[in-house]
Amino acid sequence: MSSPAHSPAHGGHDHGHDESKFQIYVQIAMLLAVITGIEIVAVYLPFAKWILVTSLVVLSAVKFLFVIFYFMHLRWDKPFCTILFFIGLVIAGGTAWALIALFQAEASLPLPT
Amino acid sequence: MSSHAATAEIDHHHDPTTSTGIPNKKLLMWAFLASDCMFFGVLISTHLIYRLHPPAGGLDPKAIFSPELTSFSTFILLMSSLMMALAVTAIQKGNIKSCRWSLLTTIFFGMIFLGCQVYEFEHFVHDKKMTLSNSLLGTTFYTLTGTHGCHVAIGVLWLALMYVRSFKPGPGSAQRSWFSGQIFHAATLIVMLLLALKVTLGLVHAIQVQPTLGGAMGLFMKEQFLWIGAMLLSLWGCVWFARPRGPVHFGVANAIDVESMGLYWHFVDIVWIVIFTAVYLLEYL
Amino acid sequence: MDASANTAHLIKEEQVPAAPKFLAHPTAKTGLMGWLTTVDHKKIGVLYGFFALIFFLIGGFEALLIRTQLMVPNNDVLTAQQYNTLFTMHGTTMIFLAVMPLSSAFFNFIMPLQIGARDVAFPRLNAFSLWTFVAGAIILNIGWFLPADKYGAPDGSWVGYPPITSKTYNPKHAIDFWIMGLQLLGVASIAASLNFIVTIINMRAPGMTMMRLPVFVWMTLVTSFLVILSFPAITIALVQLMMDRNFGTAFFEVSGGGMPILWQHLFWVFGHPEVYILILPAMGIISEILPTFSRKPLFGYPIVVFSGACIGFLGFAVWSHHMFTTGMGTVATAAFALATMAIAVPTGVKIFNWIGTLWGGHLMMRTPMLFALGFVWMFMMGGLSGIMHSAAPADAQQHDSYFVVAHFHYVLIGGSIFALLAGLHYWFPLMFGRKVSEGWGRLSFWTIFVGFNVTFFPMHFLGLNGMPRRTFTYDPNLGWNTANFIATMGAYLLGIGMFIYFAVLAYTYFKGEKVGRDYWDGRTLEWSLQNPPPEYNFAAIPNVHARDAWWYEKHNRAEIERERTAQAKAEEAHGGIHMPFGSIWPFVASMGLLVVAIGVTCFDSNPAPGIHAKLGLSLIGGVITFLGIYFWSLEGNEGYHLHLDKDGKPVEDHGHGH
Repeated sequence: MSSPAHSPAHGGHDHGHDESKFQIYVQIAMLLAVITGIEIVAVYLPFAKWILVTSLVVLSAVKFLFVIFYFMHLRWDKPFCTILFFIGLVIAGGTAWALIALFQAEASLPLPT
Repeated sequence: MSSHAATAEIDHHHDPTTSTGIPNKKLLMWAFLASDCMFFGVLISTHLIYRLHPPAGGLDPKAIFSPELTSFSTFILLMSSLMMALAVTAIQKGNIKSCRWSLLTTIFFGMIFLGCQVYEFEHFVHDKKMTLSNSLLGTTFYTLTGTHGCHVAIGVLWLALMYVRSFKPGPGSAQRSWFSGQIFHAATLIVMLLLALKVTLGLVHAIQVQPTLGGAMGLFMKEQFLWIGAMLLSLWGCVWFARPRGPVHFGVANAIDVESMGLYWHFVDIVWIVIFTAVYLLEYL
Repeated sequence: MDASANTAHLIKEEQVPAAPKFLAHPTAKTGLMGWLTTVDHKKIGVLYGFFALIFFLIGGFEALLIRTQLMVPNNDVLTAQQYNTLFTMHGTTMIFLAVMPLSSAFFNFIMPLQIGARDVAFPRLNAFSLWTFVAGAIILNIGWFLPADKYGAPDGSWVGYPPITSKTYNPKHAIDFWIMGLQLLGVASIAASLNFIVTIINMRAPGMTMMRLPVFVWMTLVTSFLVILSFPAITIALVQLMMDRNFGTAFFEVSGGGMPILWQHLFWVFGHPEVYILILPAMGIISEILPTFSRKPLFGYPIVVFSGACIGFLGFAVWSHHMFTTGMGTVATAAFALATMAIAVPTGVKIFNWIGTLWGGHLMMRTPMLFALGFVWMFMMGGLSGIMHSAAPADAQQHDSYFVVAHFHYVLIGGSIFALLAGLHYWFPLMFGRKVSEGWGRLSFWTIFVGFNVTFFPMHFLGLNGMPRRTFTYDPNLGWNTANFIATMGAYLLGIGMFIYFAVLAYTYFKGEKVGRDYWDGRTLEWSLQNPPPEYNFAAIPNVHARDAWWYEKHNRAEIERERTAQAKAEEAHGGIHMPFGSIWPFVASMGLLVVAIGVTCFDSNPAPGIHAKLGLSLIGGVITFLGIYFWSLEGNEGYHLHLDKDGKPVEDHGHGH
């Protein structure tokens, strides 16, 4: 089980573009930083609330997806990894949505004090 | 699971010993992350539910949160994610030095994030008077971001231990026993990180207290003298432990462990992406 | 070696630096150390079963005390406080310390055998789950042994609603024991389920496609998903309750702006999938037993599997049917009522498929079959009362009445327990090489069956006549006297039946009639092994050709023989059968968690010994856990190799392990 310190990799299915993998990662990091910047600026823009909320949610979702599909490698891995994670994500998201909806119902509002 | 697999070429995208080709550790980590989605989903829901109808006269996040600090720490965490991804690709190619540097920078950025969070919590408690128990906002906010911070801290600890692990002597090395060595190396690294955190926060505090840079540096040196010394000592210790000492028992075969850890670290980042939007940004609308 | 000697020139190419002695791999296979360091899924399964059966008997005893108190109106066998403690502990024990670990026992022992694997994906993690479960069981029950004024056993009911469990109304440590006990059990369950998911997905024998898996394995998989996705909700809820009790937060504290209803939601987001966690393994067991004892394959295998998955998924969408009377509003109530009715469909589909399996089969009415048939009927009855609950207006009357008690005991005893008892009889010959006597088995079944129905059928009427749950006395003029008396008599009979069942099982373990391989002429791979299976499970990993893999093998012996020999040769060429080393570190890590839990629960923050004892002990426990995990990772997972001689007896080879 020993491997000498500096053996070059022989990954059989090395996509042959290790250099571009590095570049892809850096480019995505830059993109994420830019999107974060846009988000920060967006809250101060004079648009209607629903537009801003939607934009923020969309931008966050874009960041989220870039990280999971690229940094976490889902794009290049077997589909089952994606399915497995999305099972958790969908159930968590659905539960969160239902809980928030439940507490926004008329009957759940706090009584006026 | 046969030991012969280690000497054969390792395909980082297909493990022939498993039914699906996905390595067991990777599958385990993805399943755990699916579970952690629910964990944070419930925490975030609790916070958002209590923000739907804030109590009258309750604390206002806009008066408490600092968008600049939070944006900075968001950016820092994103950069740490980049470094983590680079660490994984480095070790997959067998480039141990590059992997170690990437791990160290990931740790570095992670510590900055934690430092920002410690600073933020201290600031909120002492200056904005928001504590865990004196307000609903404090309760849900500290619990949610504190749990996330704990996840980051566990990640930093894991990264530090993985970094130390990368120095395990391999065959042909002159070292005879690594057991006590690794304990000291890990302890020195962790102590150094904590001291660096303390010193940095001390510097920030000094800058805030003293109006002039000279005065701030003077105050900083006076207050933190011993801590700075201890930090430099432990930093030197880390450099000493990291000196080259022959071949190490760390390479392409360990890429799966670094990759699993990377998945955890990236997940902590995406949770923060959600928290940043749902907890901070939405309050400003 | 002399530390001062310069031995650089003596170091061979392959020699790696030595590890300290205490990191050496334990080799004990018997005795106390053998059990504490085992990573063998079969031994771990037996341990789960052993603890589960002990707690099942304790939970049963708690139930008998409850029924004795309710035998006659205004009884004084128990005080109200004792009664509250008993129904809390009865529920918590039965769910978390009896049914779940008993299911786990079968997941551990049987599932890897059914998929043709040698062990689970992470054997040490498996051991960690077991010992953490034991730690959780200890914390839950520790209150019994401590003074009742400051400690005491938990008494907030198994659902633990604040404000009853808040510090204001329950300042004792009893609730802290309940919280930390459940947290430890949650850690154990999640770790085990992650392990099972990876095992089932990734360690199937060649040819074992997902649609050839035994239904029990499918149900293990679905249950494991339910665990990893539902337990986080209760983990967070319990953390929040703990913080309310100890840090003055206001998650559920009205005076701080909190809402107790949030606890109910979070608890039931966990609690509803939890009941499917309790029943799906049972359904899996029944799906194995009915085909075997009808001498027919399972009817409609794909739809049975799909229904199981549907039940699992829909189970996350119905939680508020436990909260119909909390005033959620029309839309929410209707939505959850609809979802609850929908979930009855896949459940019913399964029942029809089981009936289809029996239809036209050559039925062998052995004890496991009796329990399985009992399951189909009793679970169906529990399901019918469940459907009655799903109509929210009707539930407005039934909620918190004995009608609910009747419903869940029909599905939990008539369902889960019957199936688990069936499984114990069914797999006993495989696990221990002995068979339970038919006569005694039948006697225990009928006693249990009659006792169970006499206990719980009257409760439907008690509920419809308005008797509330969780009350320690009732007045004599409410018309509940006869039914309660009958129920108590039934409970004693049920107790006798359970006693007979377990006494017979214990006797059989030591002195039962020994039997050979494949006693029931089974259909799935576990029956291809000798009784009990050898440590390495399969001499050669099987190649699977069809569903009901063992049945195919029995009817294609020549082909299988050729494959087996070739496979054995291939494995030998690869270095032999690869086995994992035992390890003490999972046990150490679990015990660390136990110390943390004791630190968190047993000490007050304010009066002496104060916060320092609390923090100090928790920190010590944390360090122990951390060290356990650290040395676990240092140990490595190389394992050792076994070679089998021509008689199939193992000859160990420690050449590669270090």
